Order: sequence, then C-alpha cells, then structure tokens
Amino acid sequence: MSDQDNKKPLKLFFWLWAIITVAGVAVSLWAPGYLMPRSMSNNMHLTILTMVVFSVAAAPVAAGVYAASIYMLRTWSYRGDDVPPPAPVIRENNKVVASWLLASTVLTVFLLIWGLGALAVDNSSTGKNPLVVDVTGQQWVWSFSYPGTHVESNQLYLPENREVEFRVTSDDVTHGFWIVNMGVQVDANPGTITTIHTTPNRLGEFTVRCEQFCGLNHSFMDTEGFVVSTQNFNSWLAAQPQRS
Amino acid sequence: MNRSRSLGIAAASVLVVGGALGLAGFALATAAPHQTALNCTPVQGASKTCAITLATYPDSGEGVHGKDGGAHPDWVTYSNDNVNVPANSTIVVTINQYDSGGSLNNAFFDQVMGTVGGTATINGKTVTHADPNDIGHTFTLRGIPGMGTDLFVSVPLPADNNSKTPVILNGVAYAKPVVVQFSFKTGSKGIYEFNCEFPCGGSREGQFGQAMSTYGYMSGTFTVQ
Amino acid sequence: MTTTLERNATAQIPKGGGLARRQNFGTAVVAGVVFAYLFWLIAHLTLDSTGRPFGDQVATFTGLGWLIGFWIGIGAFNGPFRWLLGRDHSHADDMYYAGQNMGKARYWKFTTDHKVVGVQYIVVTMVLFGVGGILAMAIRTNLIAPGNHFVNQQVYNSFIAIHGMVMILAMIVAVAGPWGNFVMPIMIGARDMAFPRLNALSLWTLVAAIGLLVTTLAVGGLPVGWVVMDPISNQAGIGMDFFALTIIAFTVSTTVAGVNTITTMMTMRTKGMTLERMPIFTWGVFMAAALGLYAFPYFLVAESFQILDRTSFTSFFVSTGGGTGWLQANLFWLMGHPEVYVILLPAVGALFEIAAVMSRKPVFSYRTAVGSMAGLAGLSALVWAHHMFTSGWAPTLGGPFMLTTEIISIPTGLFFLVLIGTLWRGHIWMKLPTIWLFGFMANFIIAGITGIYLSDIPLDDQLHGTMFVTAHFHYVFVGSVLFGAIAALAFWYPKVTGRYLNEYLGRISFWFVFVGVQVTFLAMFVSGLRGMPRRYASYSIIFEHTNFASTIGAYTIMIGMIILGVALVTSWNKGEPSGPNPWQANSLEWMVPTPPPLENFEVQPVITEDPYNFDKEMVRR
Repeated sequence: MSDQDNKKPLKLFFWLWAIITVAGVAVSLWAPGYLMPRSMSNNMHLTILTMVVFSVAAAPVAAGVYAASIYMLRTWSYRGDDVPPPAPVIRENNKVVASWLLASTVLTVFLLIWGLGALAVDNSSTGKNPLVVDVTGQQWVWSFSYPGTHVESNQLYLPENREVEFRVTSDDVTHGFWIVNMGVQVDANPGTITTIHTTPNRLGEFTVRCEQFCGLNHSFMDTEGFVVSTQNFNSWLAAQPQRS
Repeated sequence: MNRSRSLGIAAASVLVVGGALGLAGFALATAAPHQTALNCTPVQGASKTCAITLATYPDSGEGVHGKDGGAHPDWVTYSNDNVNVPANSTIVVTINQYDSGGSLNNAFFDQVMGTVGGTATINGKTVTHADPNDIGHTFTLRGIPGMGTDLFVSVPLPADNNSKTPVILNGVAYAKPVVVQFSFKTGSKGIYEFNCEFPCGGSREGQFGQAMSTYGYMSGTFTVQ
Repeated sequence: MTTTLERNATAQIPKGGGLARRQNFGTAVVAGVVFAYLFWLIAHLTLDSTGRPFGDQVATFTGLGWLIGFWIGIGAFNGPFRWLLGRDHSHADDMYYAGQNMGKARYWKFTTDHKVVGVQYIVVTMVLFGVGGILAMAIRTNLIAPGNHFVNQQVYNSFIAIHGMVMILAMIVAVAGPWGNFVMPIMIGARDMAFPRLNALSLWTLVAAIGLLVTTLAVGGLPVGWVVMDPISNQAGIGMDFFALTIIAFTVSTTVAGVNTITTMMTMRTKGMTLERMPIFTWGVFMAAALGLYAFPYFLVAESFQILDRTSFTSFFVSTGGGTGWLQANLFWLMGHPEVYVILLPAVGALFEIAAVMSRKPVFSYRTAVGSMAGLAGLSALVWAHHMFTSGWAPTLGGPFMLTTEIISIPTGLFFLVLIGTLWRGHIWMKLPTIWLFGFMANFIIAGITGIYLSDIPLDDQLHGTMFVTAHFHYVFVGSVLFGAIAALAFWYPKVTGRYLNEYLGRISFWFVFVGVQVTFLAMFVSGLRGMPRRYASYSIIFEHTNFASTIGAYTIMIGMIILGVALVTSWNKGEPSGPNPWQANSLEWMVPTPPPLENFEVQPVITEDPYNFDKEMVRR
C-alpha cells in the first residue's frame, strides 16, 4: 500500500530545507549592507534594515520551493521513454491548503505592518528648522539652490545632522531625483513641486542620479554631493558666487 | 509536404527579422550625420594646450549638415557634433554664436561654470555670468562622475549683437556673431557629452525636444583620447 | 449556429470568386503600402504644412492608411461587405475561408480555422522574440564595458524602448496566442472559436501592428523608454505617432481576441463540459482574456490622447496646457500591471496542465488553482499605483497600494502550492516540458520575492528606477513566463506537427537558458543594489563587473534560444513521430487525430469527468 501511495521519507526534504534556509539567512544578513551604497542618512539605514528583514523572512519560503523541487527530482522523477504508471489520486487536502494560506497570510501581514511602520518613519518630518533646498532638473543637469542665500550650484552640499527638505521640480520633462546614498527618491515633475525629507548623518561624498528616463543624455545626468559639518557648510555657502 | 511548411516558416522569419534588422541599420545610419571628427589644434608655445573653434547657427545651413541643411534645415545647430580632444590637457574653446535668443528656463545657466578661472570672455570682455534674459544658447559639457571623466563645464552664449551688418556665409546672411572664449581642463580618456541648455528645440514642454535631443544639432560628443 | 453541431466539414468549393479569393499576406502588404501612400498624399495636399504638428499629422494619417489598407488587402472586410450587399457567405464560402483543402497557402491568408491561426501565432511569436532578442543583444553589447559606444546613445535609447515593447507584445501572445487558439477550442470540445472571422482579424491586426512598430524604428525611433511617459514622449519625433498607432491596433487585436475567447468558452463547450471539468489551462486563458479586456483599453485611451496632444494641440498630458504626465502614468499602469498577469496566467495554466499530465496525478486542489488565478486577476486591477510610489502623485495612497500589492503574494503563493501539490508523490516523467517546468519554479520564486521588496515603499524609494527593477521583471518574463511558454511549446508541439520537439537539443537549450538567466539577472540585481539606474547607455566604473557578467549571461541565453530555434525548425518535419497522444493525456485535444482535422471532431464528444483520471484505461495511443 505504501508503495502505491508513493510516500517517501521526508528526512532529505527537511535537511535540504534547513541547509538552504541557513544559507539564505546568512546571505540575507550579509549582502544588503555589503552591496548597497554607503548609508549616509536615517532613511538609508531603514532601507538597508528593511532589505535584511525581508530577505531573512523570505529565505525559508524560497528554501521551501528549492528543497521541494530538489526533493521531488531526487525522489519521484521517472526517467524513461514510456509513460509512467498512474500516481495516487490526491485531489484535495484542505488541511494543507488552509495551513499554506494561513502561513502566507501571516507573512504578508508581517511585511505589511513592517512596511507601514517604516513608511511612517521614512516620510515623517521632525519639523525642526529644516534646511530647504530647491532642486531643479533640466535636461540633463541638476541644479540646487538654497532659498534665502542666492546660491545656486550643480553640486549638492548638505550639513550633517540637520533635516533637509528637498523641493523638487523640473523645467522640462520628468526627471527622477535620487540621492543614491540616502534612500531618497522622488520625481521632478514639470509644473509641480514634490517634497521629500531626510537627515544626513554621515560625513562624506555621495552621488545624485536621475532615475527616470529623460532623453538623450539621461545616463550623464548625475552629479556628486557632500555632507559636511555645519561650519564647513556655512563657509561653503559664503564662498559661492552670490547671484542677484 | 511538411518541408514546404517549415520552409515557409523559416522564410517568413528570415524575411521579417531581416527586414527589421535592415530597418534598424537604416535607423542607425540616419540617426546622426556622419561627420569627420574635429580635432583639437595644438597651441604653439604652450604645453598640453590646444584650441578648437565651434559655432552655433540659427539653422542647419552651416556646419554638420552642409548647404542644403540636411533633414531639418530649420533646426538650430552646432557647427560640429564630434570633437576629439587630448586627455589631461587644457582646451581653449572659441564659439561664434550667430543665433538670436531670449530667456533661459533656469537662470542657473547664465553662470560660467567649470572653466579655468571660472570665467569666459564675451566679445573680449571677461565675465562670470551673462544676462539670463538675453541668451542665445549655452555650451554645457559633462562626463560621468566616478569615471575619471568627471567634469562639468557650462558657458552661456549670449544672443547676437543685433548688429545691422550681417555676415555672409555660403550666400546666406547671418548677424555678426558673438564671440565667446574660455578654456577647460580634460581628465582621463573617455566620453563627454555636450548640449545646449537654452530652450531652443520645439516640443510643448520646456522646448527641449527635436534639435535639443538629436545628435548633429544641439547635442554632440567630445572624445577624450 | 448549425455548423457546430452537424458533421459537415466538407463542401464543394465554389469556382471562381474573383479577387477576394486571391487575397493573402502579399496583397495585404501591397494594399497597406498603397493606402499609406494615398493617405500621405491626401494629408500633404489638404493639411496646413506650416504648423508644427504637420509632421505628426501626416505620420498619423500615413499609419492609419497602412492599417486600413492592410485590413482591406487581407480580406478582413469581405464578409461584412458581402453581407451589406445582401450576398452573405454561404456554407461553402465559410469552408473556403476556413482553409479547406487549401494546403500550405492557408497559412498566408485570412483563414478562420483556429488551428491555422494558432500556427500563425507561433510564427508571429518567434518573429517577435527574434527581433526583441537581437535588440537585447545590442543593448547588452553596448553595456559590456563602461563608456562603451557600440551604438550611440540616441540609437540605444530607441533600442531599449523597442526591445521592451516588442518583447511585451511577444510575451502577451506567447502562450495565449498559439495555444489559446490551437488547443483551447479542442480542449472544451468546440469545432472552432465562436467568431472565426474575428479570430483571423485579431491575428492579422497584430501583424499590421508589428508593421507599424517596425516603421517606428525606421522613422527616428522611440527614444523615450517603453513606458512612453509624458512629457518625454512629447519630445519624440514622428516615431512616437507610429508607436501610438501600434498600440491602438494592438488593443483592437487583443480586445477582439479576448471577446472571442470568452464567448467561445462560455457558449461553445461540448455536452458535459462543465466549468469544473474544463482542463485547467483553459482557465488560465480565460482569466487572461478577461483581464486583457479590462486592461488594454486604458493604453488605447492613453495613446489616443497622445496622438491628439501631438496632432491637435490638446493638452491631456501637457502641463503648460493644464494637463499632467501623471494622467498618462496612471492610464499606462492601469494597463501595465494587469498586463503582467495577462502574460503570466496562460503560462501558469499551461504549467498546471503539464504538471498533472507529466506526474500522472490530478491537478492538486483544482478549485484553489482556479481561485488563485481569479484572485490574481482581480487584485491586479487594484495595484497599478505601486509603479508610481516615487512619482510624487498622491503619496497618501502609498499605504493602500502597498497593501493590495503585498496581498498579491497570497494567490501567487498558491500557484506554488498547486504546482508542488500536483507533482508531490507523482510519477514525474522527466521530459522536456517537465524540465522547463522545474526551471520555472526556481526562477519564479526569485521573481516573486524581489517583487515584495519593490512593493515596500521605503525600499522602493531606493530601488525604484534601478537595474534591480529591470532584473526583477526579467525574472518574471524571461525566467518565468518564457520558461512556461517553452514548456507549453514542448508539450503541445506534437499535437501541431505529429512529432516531438527534439529532446536532446531542448535539454541543451534549457541549460544554456537557465544558467544564462541566473548569471544575467542575478548580476543585474547587484548592479541595481549598487545604484545603477535603468536605461543608462553608459555607466560609472563601479558597475563594470556586474554589467560584464550580465552581458556574458545574455549571450548564453541567446545561444540557448538559437539552439531551441534550431530544434523547433528541424523537428517540424524531421522529428521523432509522436502519434496523436504522446503524453497519454485525457483531455480532448489528445483524443483527436494529429494534425486535427478541420472542425476537429467527427462525433461531438460528451464529457463525463475531468481529464485527470490517469488510472483509468481510457487512453488511446
């Protein structure tokens, strides 16, 4: 009867699943921090953390599919030119379907709650004296102006540990304003100002890129920026040519 | 009998793929005029320095496209779209600007940026910026950051002098050009892209389509060798 | 009404018939070109040539001329015209148009037989994959090294858009086109589709649309990205007009096909073929047809607005005129997200079918399978704005769209349950379809998980617009749908040709494509994580190694696909003969001879159970 049922011991499956899960978790803990750009803002910390958490949560799921595939190939594959004999008729198993649904719902709810929480933190403004920067995209140059200072630059200087409010717009087509090291991304739309906040928290150089296709020289539309101390920021502002 | 069917399928595939490829090749060949590159001329008596002269025209009757103006005779053009410059050198650029003008979309581009000394000369006068409401074109050149070709040069080219004494080129009268001169330093080998940041290209949003987005008109390449 | 019930598939073909009998693909192309020229001439003579949109107006007229001429030339209007004249088609006429006794010529004509249309779809799909694949190789070659200029940026920008659009069209028809037409009607016991002429119309309209898309490339390209966002597409040249017409023609094609498919499945099922006894593949086709009927008209509306903006100075998408590019983005993604499932569902349905037949077990939890496909189809209509998380449009809707998007992982997870549940404890026959099925599972889990990252807004704020997204949806399309499509091809190929798809070449091809997909797109994930945006023609040195790996991987995929193409062509007349039922399956398409005769059944079959009882001796080889 057991042969007709085609049941086989599941030990191999569980071992495979455990090994792949462990490997997956290890990669999940290591890869995001190693591969993603150097984090320079609170948003980016959250981004990398989310990447790690989601990967760890996904590892057992992916491992389940891989382990099942390998296990089925090892256990039940039938190599031959003639059609295999009929297999046991298993049309329904409500328990399996229900537990599968339950598990995937629990995972989804977890992802959702994490996501909503992260979203609330991500977009919130502390409202404490943010530095306002007007960002203008024009094919194919970014320009940054600092209201109240008459300074306009093609490089983005930001002071450390002070919230920045970017007011982003475009002179022509839609561009995508993206500070690669800060997890800050919003489109620059013509005729509209979109706002996004972040707080740089590490000194150093970062990259600004355009991530929305904007025509001929799209791939050249990037520039660099610097997070500097407040003192250096003020002296940089003072050294810029003042526009009337 | 199956043979003819498979032959039919194969023939159809070859025909259509071949046709598409041919058209792609055609598109590729006609996308930009094939122009021999303009080479930078070494300046006597100065080490690692060379000079180029460019021009901007209100139509395509000059420069790249020749007398007939090519596919779009009414589009504005740079005289060249393909310039070779040596690496790690000083390039002295002279631009004769023949076109009329108006206001910039973004006054940011009235500044002289990225040149040696941060200045340019306009008709012999040294300046750091021009009147943002009387710009003909700009010369804006850039490389890719992080490639050793990291560079940003932008120089405003003011509108023509409204002079009553026209210059005749190829039998066509142009206003007397504004002469803008500046120099910049190249980095290592690579590609720079230049274009104009004055809205002069048609299209309904920002006037940056057509000539602005097409090689051989207001866009081109500097190859650093 | 009567022809479906009577066994009367032969009729004396009336002699003569004049011009209408000589129409084929050739006359269609000639008529298309002649009409295009006529419309071009009329536009030049009548329109004001001084205005700026003159070029766009002429282009639109020319494109419409091609479309109308092609329809007339292929004979699409013959039936309605004769009906208007009071000389409606006789039965003999209908038999003639179904291609009775016509031989190979019927594959080049407006033939109404669903099996002919299915074969035509196979060819169209292969052609599209060929063109799209060549463009993909050009793109990857350009990206092999930083600062490489294999083609210049302007051409590159057109290539990425045309590659995207051609491949999307290819994917949409890859499973639903050939197999939704060739086997679906036989599977439900129908003698043909409900509207055979509409079936031919949908195929030939697609061919006409491809003509327009090729024209796009020839007249200056589409340097705006395949999502044709505004205002950037407003800057494009007349290529954009031809593109918009391509989409309009394509929408006509899919809408006609969708109506036809749904009507066929609702009204043409044979006696005893209840909804629960339908082979599971037909449900995949049904869901895709229904979803396509809902989704594609949005794109038609968007591109019609686009044409009006360009030719008539309306301002739907132009902010200086009071419009907004966000309207275009919304319309595009209202189409764009369901479209992914229009592509996916037929492939998943086919894989359920293959899993059952090849493991000699019933589909595990048939109702879960149908329910998950329906759930996916329904949910997909409610998630479009997740493509616009970073656009600045309606940030308040971020949370709700994150919710709907993440819920999609539940029905998607059920696909895995059904597949694994069906294979589990089966006798898994390791033939070509099964191998590609396992490849699908390995890739689809990666596609699904990376999709969850992108549905999370804080992560999307980093990953949106990067190569990570590109890699994600290539895992969906290449890694998953293409694998499903090839499995379906290997599975039903013997039904079309009476021969197996070459097993040996198929396996070699599998390993090339499978390894190639992992190398190409895993490396592309890394490019994206490191911060490389999509659609870059040249890039910074920090992305050098991963891009090199992606290019090598892409070449590997190409080698695999060429091998598969060779197998496909050589097996067609030289492959190992398979007999009418090589997989010993029970569904109706395997019960008829190979190739199936015109009108499929000698006696109308009566169904008493679903086709998954493999333990019964009812199979004939």
